[in-house]
Amino acid sequence: MNTTVNITINGEIYEESVPNRLLLVDFIREVAAQTGTHVGCTYEGVCGACTIQLDGEAVKSCLMLAVQADGHDITTVEGLAKDGELTPLQIAFNEHHALQCGYCTPGILMNMDEFLKKNPDPTEEEIRHGLIGNLCRCTGYAHIVEAVKDAATKLA
Amino acid sequence: MSANKDGVWVGEKFNRKEDHRLTTGKGRFLADLSVPGMVHLTFLRSERAHAIIKSIDISAAEALPGVIAIVTGEDIKDKILPMPQPVVQPGLPGRFPKHWPLAVGKVKFHGEPVAAVVTRDKYIGADAAEAIVVDYEDLPYVGDPESALEPGATLVHEDWDDNIIFEMGFTGGDTVESQKENDEEVEKIMQTADIVVKNRFRVQRCGVTPMETRGVLAEWDDSDGMTAHITTQRPHIDRLALSDILEIPSEKMRIIAPRDQGGGFGVKAPFYREPILICYLAKALRRPIRWIESRQEHLMVVSQERDQINDLEVAATKDGKLLAIRNRGIADCGDGCQGVYWGFVMPFLGAVELPNGYTWEKGDVKVKVVVTNKSCLSPARAFGELPTRFAMERSVDMIANRCGMEPAEVRRKNLIPELPYTSVCGEYMDSGDFIKVFDNLLDHADLPAFRKEQEAARKEGRYIGIGFGLGVELSGVSSELMVPMENQPGYGAATIRLDARGKAIVFEGDAPQGQGHETTAAQAVAHTFGIHPNDVTVTTGDTGTTPFGSGTIGARMGSYFVSAAVDAADVLKKKLARFMAHDMALSGATEDDFEFSGGEIIYTKDTNIRQSFRDACERNIMAPINLPEGETAGLEHTAFFEAAMPMIAFNADFCTVEVNPENGQFKILSWTTSEDVGQIINPQIVEGQMQGAIVQGISNTLFEEFIYDENGQQLTADLENYKMATAADVPNMKITHAPTPCPHTPLGSRGIGEGRPSDVPGAISNAVCDALSPFGIEITELPLRPNMIWRKIQEAKAKQAAD
Repeated sequence: MNTTVNITINGEIYEESVPNRLLLVDFIREVAAQTGTHVGCTYEGVCGACTIQLDGEAVKSCLMLAVQADGHDITTVEGLAKDGELTPLQIAFNEHHALQCGYCTPGILMNMDEFLKKNPDPTEEEIRHGLIGNLCRCTGYAHIVEAVKDAATKLA
Repeated sequence: MSANKDGVWVGEKFNRKEDHRLTTGKGRFLADLSVPGMVHLTFLRSERAHAIIKSIDISAAEALPGVIAIVTGEDIKDKILPMPQPVVQPGLPGRFPKHWPLAVGKVKFHGEPVAAVVTRDKYIGADAAEAIVVDYEDLPYVGDPESALEPGATLVHEDWDDNIIFEMGFTGGDTVESQKENDEEVEKIMQTADIVVKNRFRVQRCGVTPMETRGVLAEWDDSDGMTAHITTQRPHIDRLALSDILEIPSEKMRIIAPRDQGGGFGVKAPFYREPILICYLAKALRRPIRWIESRQEHLMVVSQERDQINDLEVAATKDGKLLAIRNRGIADCGDGCQGVYWGFVMPFLGAVELPNGYTWEKGDVKVKVVVTNKSCLSPARAFGELPTRFAMERSVDMIANRCGMEPAEVRRKNLIPELPYTSVCGEYMDSGDFIKVFDNLLDHADLPAFRKEQEAARKEGRYIGIGFGLGVELSGVSSELMVPMENQPGYGAATIRLDARGKAIVFEGDAPQGQGHETTAAQAVAHTFGIHPNDVTVTTGDTGTTPFGSGTIGARMGSYFVSAAVDAADVLKKKLARFMAHDMALSGATEDDFEFSGGEIIYTKDTNIRQSFRDACERNIMAPINLPEGETAGLEHTAFFEAAMPMIAFNADFCTVEVNPENGQFKILSWTTSEDVGQIINPQIVEGQMQGAIVQGISNTLFEEFIYDENGQQLTADLENYKMATAADVPNMKITHAPTPCPHTPLGSRGIGEGRPSDVPGAISNAVCDALSPFGIEITELPLRPNMIWRKIQEAKAKQAAD
């Protein structure tokens, strides 16, 4: 069974008829062709690689159906930089070598982007707890924590 | 971008070139690739551990709209050659079980592919796979490697006479007599030594699962042949193996490892059965086919390593001099059906590396690798050696306790004082200074201060402890070891092409998965040419354009690949120098009289004579007239680098912990390392490699465990049940360096990071035991969980009360 949805992704409107069972992450990746949002677990919300922002709030797009996002406004990692200008968080990830393979990075950026808006001056412990929903296998997290701290300073 | 003096790019922080695309969602991982007409493949995997396939009914599945094809083992067994094939068969004396991409006759582990469904849409693929009905007749489950060794045990492979896939001794020379004599001498030492500690060490089945699972996108064209994108660390080996097995001439076989791969850590190094089937079907159906492994499939069938029992005896004098080791290793291989490694190459190398960085008079080291009804072991960073190193590092602490000495003191006393050195297991260690590295670590530890703090804490009822671990790691794998071990060359290969604008392209046949090759190699090549790293582009992983390489494995980047790239650049530099000497009529000038710096080529005997690097390249490529005698135009060169002998890197760690004796929970308070990675190329990338590896080691030690139930059902095939460390679970790490440049590489660099997780479990366990020394507990088993520590405390208290 299909339903027509109207979803805004990075400012573009997608009005599409989709199977009811289509996951939001597949809508983003396959219908909207925004492949920066990744899948790393068994659609169970553990790895966080599919994290996007739904109306400004960080959510895991593998835990939602596309039909549930009808009428909502989504930002993915592709929508973070405006007119090619990277955000302080993106720049800090490069400066601090906070990514290696980069597979988990989009989800972490989308989560931390929201996190820093809610908590602009976080402690290290708060950052580490804020990252619990994102698994990274390469970095050991230390450089990610440094980058988030640095971005908080730059944003202040 | 960091400041830089005089075009010196080796040793400088340089922000990674890979990051812009990866932080903006523009990375291109395998699942991001698609081609017109592409269809999807879904595997139906066995739900039984060991069972005869009586029948497979595909009728309901076939009837679903959108289903294009369904194949089973019976359909393909006469059309695809079986494994093993020589190209993915090591020279070690093991057995190589016959198998096809899909199970034929019986299934041998929970998760083995039984059928494959090709559909227009991946959701329909899941429906169709579920609609296939397989009738199984269960066979006894072989789950315990020791029981599997008993006479009359159920056979995993019926055409074998037992369940041993590999068995080897590593000590005592090449003859039966010399080995016997050696073993008797070891026995004598064990009988007469002041101290012998003997323990059974167990390390659970776990590994380093990458965040990106595996995948294949294969496309067949009747004139061009096969183009297959595969998540792989070794595209050139995949190409040869697929060519042989599918009987497609190698010139019609192009393998591309995606530019972006989401981690590998060894998991993407084997030659797996899935790509065979997907390439076969892409050709048979004349349709591009993509398979993206689900996380559940991934955890059921790959990323499973470690899983060894080591019965280790260590003899020492009462003043802490280590004398001899005797070890009997048993590894639980799983079914052994996996190209290149066959589940036994990891325990082989683990045994080779058991002696670690210590001197031993004698050793008697033997290993048995046993097949069971589990998924085949696949490599994971710290290839085979994490279990043996855990056993060794724990044993050294036990010796120290028996001697009443500091464990750090016993380590320092027994470190190999001078290199080169060949261990009792035959491992050649080329260069470095172990004592310098360890002393650097001790400088950071301030042990006397810690002991005072520990004593004070105990008075408050707090239990803190310090633990050390150290490790010799391979710095790449030389041909001498790679040819027998994996039937592959060890050399590094790089092609460099300069263009007429003075820009360099580096072609690498290996396939990185996050290690930052595009940046590190650009720095090394820019350094050599005296140009900027942004003027160097590194392209990797495409067998259609790159020179042959055995893959991104075993820390080959900083050792072998970078060295090949520097050697290739050096050849081109000399050519440019000869052209300049000719063009500027510098009579008597040699190739060495020119300095390449700041984008210029400078005649060192008269520094007013200089030419821009760009002009020199343009002259050579675009104006090939008036050439020096005997020269041709063109600035492209491929270099193959092979060091004369195997090379190593060395590191040491300490951590501190606080244990709560009421519940066994503990926290890692600090982590400090000392490294010899030789000449560093990019310090930040090196630091990232170390931090990542240590956290992988912590995660293996504390959390990760693949669990099979009594029927061989794998219970841990998702990331909720297979727990990996999160940011909140791990400490910050202080990475320090005490380098000795490697004399065998052009830059003095060493390959780093591969073996690095291996000394972590020893360091943590040693710290926990040190914290709890009033109870006298010894940890011999992983994972190290609070309930185990609590139980040991209870046992110790009961024993103390009884005494």
